[in-house]
Amino acid sequence: MKTALVVLLLALARLGVAGDTLYLYNWNNYISADTAARFEIWCGCRLQQDYYSDNEEMLAKLEAGATGYDLLVPTGNAVQTLIRKRELQALDHQRLPHLGNLDPAFANPWYDPGQRYAVPYATTFTLLGYNATRIAELGLPTDTWALIFEPEYLRKLKGKVTVLNSQRELMAAALRYLGHSIGDTDPEHWQAARDLILRAKPYWATFSNSTYIKDLAIGNIWVAHGYSNDMFRAREDARAAGRPFVIGFAIPKEGAVLAVDNFVIHKAARRPDLAHRFIDFMLQGENAADVSNLIGAGNPNRAALPAIRPEVAGEAAIFPPPETLRRLEMLRDLEPKQRRLMSRLWTEIKVK
Amino acid sequence: MKRGFWLWTATLATYAFLYLPLAVVVLFSFNDSELNASWVGFTTRWYGKLLGDAGMLQAAANSLLIAIVSSTIATVLGTMAGISLHRWHPRFMPFLVLTPVAMPEILLGVSLLLFFRQVLDLTLGLLSILVAHITFSIGFVAIIVRARLAGMDESIFEAARDLGATPWRTFTRVTFPLIVPGIVAGFLMSFTLSIDDFVITFFVAGVGVATLPLQIYSMIKVAVTLEVNAISTLLMALTLTLIALASRFAPDTLRKAS
Amino acid sequence: MPVSSSTTDRSARLTRWLVTAPPAVFLVIFFLIPALIMAGASFREPGEFGGLAPLAESGPSLDAYRFILDDVIYAWILAKSFAIAGLTTVICLLFAYPLAMLIVRSPKRQRDVFILLVILPFASNFLIRIYAWMIILGPLDLLYSPVAVVVGMVYVHLPFMILPLYTNLEKHDPALLEAAQDLGAGKWAGFWRVTWPLSLPGVLSGSSLVFIPVLGMFAVPELLGGTGDLLMGNLIKEQFLDNRDWPLGAALSLLLTLAVLAVAGLSAVLTRNRGQT
Repeated sequence: MKTALVVLLLALARLGVAGDTLYLYNWNNYISADTAARFEIWCGCRLQQDYYSDNEEMLAKLEAGATGYDLLVPTGNAVQTLIRKRELQALDHQRLPHLGNLDPAFANPWYDPGQRYAVPYATTFTLLGYNATRIAELGLPTDTWALIFEPEYLRKLKGKVTVLNSQRELMAAALRYLGHSIGDTDPEHWQAARDLILRAKPYWATFSNSTYIKDLAIGNIWVAHGYSNDMFRAREDARAAGRPFVIGFAIPKEGAVLAVDNFVIHKAARRPDLAHRFIDFMLQGENAADVSNLIGAGNPNRAALPAIRPEVAGEAAIFPPPETLRRLEMLRDLEPKQRRLMSRLWTEIKVK
Repeated sequence: MKRGFWLWTATLATYAFLYLPLAVVVLFSFNDSELNASWVGFTTRWYGKLLGDAGMLQAAANSLLIAIVSSTIATVLGTMAGISLHRWHPRFMPFLVLTPVAMPEILLGVSLLLFFRQVLDLTLGLLSILVAHITFSIGFVAIIVRARLAGMDESIFEAARDLGATPWRTFTRVTFPLIVPGIVAGFLMSFTLSIDDFVITFFVAGVGVATLPLQIYSMIKVAVTLEVNAISTLLMALTLTLIALASRFAPDTLRKAS
Repeated sequence: MPVSSSTTDRSARLTRWLVTAPPAVFLVIFFLIPALIMAGASFREPGEFGGLAPLAESGPSLDAYRFILDDVIYAWILAKSFAIAGLTTVICLLFAYPLAMLIVRSPKRQRDVFILLVILPFASNFLIRIYAWMIILGPLDLLYSPVAVVVGMVYVHLPFMILPLYTNLEKHDPALLEAAQDLGAGKWAGFWRVTWPLSLPGVLSGSSLVFIPVLGMFAVPELLGGTGDLLMGNLIKEQFLDNRDWPLGAALSLLLTLAVLAVAGLSAVLTRNRGQT
């Protein structure tokens, strides 16, 4: 019933304003249909979304010359890349009256101090999700990367562990476990990380970027290296399906990767005016809370907090306490030579 | 000719292999479960949800349109290429026709995108996808048509020529009827390649133009809902209907060929 | 009445151009030129933020190729990919041949149905079929293994073997086989001496339509494979969609394409030597 109403409103909105379209290139399911519809009515325009499932996909298309998008939603390191390549328009803060809603902690990120180009929208952490019931039975720790790297634990988990199919993410976890920063570029440290990974690899089932959500929720996999919002979903799904176990997720004590996704305006955007209206709309507390309620993402918007569901707002792995935040780092881009070395190490990891 | 026991067994085994996952797809499109891990109960709500999902429906419509148009053009061009390869062996043709088949799709996709944007300055859209799909399909059609022609009795063509037939008449009365199964097979192959293509389409699709594979792939991160099973089932039903209709209205084409 | 030879020549040449030109021109514009651009990309430096470095800043370089040839691991991945592709092709052939033979021997009405039943699965979506295989193979404990990869590859490419094989077998003259059997050849000998050699063009074209795409495919190993199942397709995809190293990706693709063309050329030479039957 509600959907029908939304669809009807949407259709009406589209009828009224055929020519005013805002093109948003976004992660799938980052904005609910409700919110999108409400924006269209509020601004009197049409919102057309295309989707990507990885920053690199979006960057690859832009690199090859794809245009037509007004808004993009890159993660911090991708924002840095886009700024340095001069692909973004500077934001007009006059048109963003709700900018003050942002948590000051996010006001000056390293990739864009002062929100010149980017407005933070959601945060996610890369962490470990696990079948809490099983892990408790096996008497294994849940707050450390050792769970996926140490053979003494892995022996009890053989074939029940997946890790992310991402060279930066997996190397970052290994580096933190070894006590280094994720931005460490010392080749020797990288090789130590590679060796750590190769030692653990025989116990892992596969590298997975998305199928682990379902595997975890069904009970095929007991430990997964993945993203906080995915784990949140897995937990909800397992609960909804009435599974005899509970999914938990926690940020390992050695530290982890923090990702901040931001709205940016492409320099060739045809409707920067609409783009600004959209960003301001999404800065309003009620709308900003949407992404947290929808997918369990963390939120950099203070005004959103009252509107966020308690089971999300109270979850330490989505809204971590300050001590944990201090141990989190964001990924930064590598130089081309470093990328080549990383590429070779990754190939070795995959093949050996 | 005889179709013995072993032949039937092997055939049925192959069909069983082909349809096993499909049975799973169709069955689960009626599964009353968000997670689709096990059977929960019967429901048609995914079909209902599908009908309300404008984005998905538009993507499916785009995919069908692109598949039909690009396959038709690719079949025409590919048949010409296949005939040319077989009859005249032009020196550059094998390379030109076969390399798109040999090249990894991702390279084709990126190179076409670069070409469209930086050389032609073409705005991406439906047209860019069409061109890309035709490009990678021509080679497949040509290979099939050429295989069909290979080993054919050349004396038929010589006889036609000796009797004074123009090349056009030779083609329509002799060549074409003989290669129709190859052409049809080539068309079907292009169609399936096009409707399912993800990699190349990903790079050359324009803003706001989604095809079904793109739409579904972008949902992976979020976990694919059973809506996708529903649309897969519907697409199969639609294809079945289209082909049944086609054979009803043009049964002679296929029969004459055999 | 016979036509004069010069007119026949001219009309023959015209025919040749009319038939060859359209596909050739289309492919030159939309395949050859873009491919040359990418081939050129393999001789450039990677850009600072990914992609390609502007030509003005850095000249041509063999870095990408040196990087590849520097380490035997890439040759190992290529060899493994060829092995999987070969295995997939053989299995496809084993499945496809009996099926194609049965279709050929069926009455005309049934043939259409059989062919339709082959194509129909592929009107659904590729990803969904792979996900269905995950559901099937999971409980069998075969998921995330090389077996799963081969099953997936065979499944996806089966019609590419069936269709060319069928179109070839369909035009075999049954009289030839009957003659052989009248002369005392058993069923098996009849097959080996008559049917198989005649079907070779179909077998070869079907094989190339399976073997080659398998080499470049990344979705199946990524979703169904385990931790050691990285193939060339995955490696190349990573360069473009994960690592932003376009020159390396282009170089790897070029080497793969050359390897494939070499194999294709070799098989063409071999079939020509056997002589056409």
